[in-house]
Amino acid sequence: MADRTLQQILTQLKTRGPSLSYADSLALLSKAKLTLLQLHALTPSSSTPAHLLPLARETYEQGALASIRAHDPDAFTHYVQRLQPFYELPADVLPPNAPERNKVTGLYLLLLLTEGRYAEFHSELESLACRDSGGDETDRYLGYPIRLERWLMEGSYDRVWKAIQSREVPCEEYGVFSEILTSQIRSEIASSSERAYPSLPLSSTKSLLFLDSEGAVVEFAQHRGWVVRDGHIYFPDPAEAGDDESGRQQKEVSKMIIENTLGYARQLETIV
Amino acid sequence: MPGKTPSSNGNEPLENGVRNGQDVEMKDGKSKGKKGVKDSEEEMTVVVPPTKGSKQSSGGPTPDTDEDTTMDEDKVNDEAVKVDPVAQTVAEIKGNFALLDRAVALFDARFSLRALRSISLFRKRLDPDIIAQAIVDTFPAMVTSGLAAKQLLIAIGRENMPLGRSGSSEMEVDNESSAKTPKNGATKEVKEIIPEIDIFLGILIQVYLFDSKQFQRGAEFSKYLADRVQSLNRRTLDSLSAKVYFYYSLFCEQLAPQPPSPQSPVVSIRPTLLAALRTAVLRKDIDTQASVIVLLLRNYLSTSHITQADLLVSHTQFPENAVNNQVARFLYYLGRIRAIQLRYTEAHEHLTAATRKAPSSACAAGFSATTTKLLLVVELLMGDIPERSTFRQPTLELALQPYFLLVQAVRIGNLGDFETIIADHADTFRRDGTYTLILRLRQNVIKTGIRMMSLSYSRISLRDICIRLRLGSEESAEYIVAKAIRDGVIEATLDRERGFMKSKEVGDVYATREPGEAFHERIRACLALHDESVKAMRFPMNQHRLELKNAQEAREREREMAKEIQEGDLDEDDLGGDFDGM
Repeated sequence: MADRTLQQILTQLKTRGPSLSYADSLALLSKAKLTLLQLHALTPSSSTPAHLLPLARETYEQGALASIRAHDPDAFTHYVQRLQPFYELPADVLPPNAPERNKVTGLYLLLLLTEGRYAEFHSELESLACRDSGGDETDRYLGYPIRLERWLMEGSYDRVWKAIQSREVPCEEYGVFSEILTSQIRSEIASSSERAYPSLPLSSTKSLLFLDSEGAVVEFAQHRGWVVRDGHIYFPDPAEAGDDESGRQQKEVSKMIIENTLGYARQLETIV
Repeated sequence: MPGKTPSSNGNEPLENGVRNGQDVEMKDGKSKGKKGVKDSEEEMTVVVPPTKGSKQSSGGPTPDTDEDTTMDEDKVNDEAVKVDPVAQTVAEIKGNFALLDRAVALFDARFSLRALRSISLFRKRLDPDIIAQAIVDTFPAMVTSGLAAKQLLIAIGRENMPLGRSGSSEMEVDNESSAKTPKNGATKEVKEIIPEIDIFLGILIQVYLFDSKQFQRGAEFSKYLADRVQSLNRRTLDSLSAKVYFYYSLFCEQLAPQPPSPQSPVVSIRPTLLAALRTAVLRKDIDTQASVIVLLLRNYLSTSHITQADLLVSHTQFPENAVNNQVARFLYYLGRIRAIQLRYTEAHEHLTAATRKAPSSACAAGFSATTTKLLLVVELLMGDIPERSTFRQPTLELALQPYFLLVQAVRIGNLGDFETIIADHADTFRRDGTYTLILRLRQNVIKTGIRMMSLSYSRISLRDICIRLRLGSEESAEYIVAKAIRDGVIEATLDRERGFMKSKEVGDVYATREPGEAFHERIRACLALHDESVKAMRFPMNQHRLELKNAQEAREREREMAKEIQEGDLDEDDLGGDFDGM
């Protein structure tokens, strides 16, 4: 009986998922979780009836997607952690549902990527490598964040931009991150342009930074503290700013040498 | 011997010569009745005394007493008499009991370690009959110890052999192993069998079960043995229990769903290992602690639970004075974790230490190959090019071949070559667990390519860069070059309107602080090495008191000390002369 209510809630979540408001889906989800608790299926154990396991897993998956749609990374991470024990169950106890699993994992990877948690991103990647079913970049959901990370690392920002814009985005939940990624690559490009170019014409900066109009370029330039003059952008000279800093560094170098030499002397004394 | 030798230089070879003479005699006597194969193994046992002797005379870190050496020689003598390989192996096994007895009596773990080391000498000859024979000979038919012995016998399927066929003392190995006079040692049966011997036999059974691939039985037996070790709680068991857990975990790894799958039995022994770790820490049991930490790390990494492994490292402290091999393993796993987490500098440090600490003998070739592979990839990821001599080591040359090609591609900065190598050797890399790391190298290849071009051309168009590096488009090339400039890979500027990259003049390296830093790094390594060698010196506990008891021994010791002082004086005189001159 209780599992029938659960089933109903789930179908409701699945069919109307994207159109539901976050508050509505939250209410449904908490009801589903309460039912799970009553059925003792909140976490998988050996005593959990087998037919409840897929239901529990689906509840969490829906919860994860809902929290992503609502831009709530903490709730999403929570659901991902909840799902982990379900995913590690053997296939004969709980038949795996690879597309959904990959979707959630892909979203999690993307979240880690946009938050700059590269260490965790790669740890997660490592565990994908030993997953037996389609844990690869050929997968539609998993390949997306993996490719993005590679392009970001080598600096092919135009490809990242294209990937975000085009229909390569596997599903709408992934689109949530596009905005964050755009601003991320824009600031990356800006900081490398500061070093790489002596000056840039306004017109081409527009395409360089993937901005819509020259007005937006000027606004962005002011935001970064760049000087706009005769249709060109001039970057503040990093050498000027770092002048007194280099003097301090020089002092640090000599101090370090003295320190090291004293250290050697002390060590030698203990040895001899 | 003292006084005859004018200098310490002349002393060592002479002493060795004397001992060698004895040994050679013994060997000759034996080899008459033996086959060639076994002879080579015998040689290994025989070689042991001279090295000990030389250490002794040079006052080295392991001052083994003479008694020790004679005991070994006794053992060798026993072997010389026997021809039957079964009886001989049994005798060898029992020879180790003497070591264990001493370990308990002197409270010195070195003797147990030596007993464990000797397993490898007769490992190939182990079979259920030999082990059963050893058990039956050792245990008297008493109720208390009989139970333990019964368990051991069941484990190798020889449960119907009667116990207590002969005495328990190892001093009468000759009589016992010939098994003709079963009543001989009856008077000594009062003596309790120490648990160390019990566990040692257990380890032998583990070794045998592992070698004969009976993993399921091995795992069950190991579980029993681990429980027993846990309940005994004796400090002298420490190094033995470390071994017990080692084989326990090894058995689990071999069982049906193998590691990458989350249902593997390795997952289910984690609680046991963690409990063992906790107990080991509380009991200050360094051997078990070190070995269990290493096992747990291996366990987590085998199922790619990197985060858990990282947490384990951050919440435990690896014992400082653990056995060298465990330290090497620990450093390897730590390096692996750090490499996955993109902390390459730390990973490099740990892996370099691991390769240096790895035993250089051929038996550890697998470990050093694995470590070197990972180290090479990490070096590449850091932007360094490994030295060519690494690939020339004869033991590693073949194993490192794919990595050699990889390094070449990265060094030249050829993206095309790089991708074909990855495609060709994907399976090898996957097996080595370096595949995901190698995929990260792509950006390094590009960076090297850009650097090469910036060095060779003072001005080059973005189109050419794009073509040479086989990048997707000119825009990509522009962004990539800009990023390289920002990351400090090259010194150059870009001209967007005319679409080229202009290189700046390269400064003098010796004007920077880099040489100084490299120098400092090396000095620090030398100093650390010195400190560690000082720490590694050993001073056995209560050794002096024991000597006082034995007057004969003490006199000998005194003579030796006098000799050493004499040598020392000589040395000091030599040195003193120099100092006077100054």
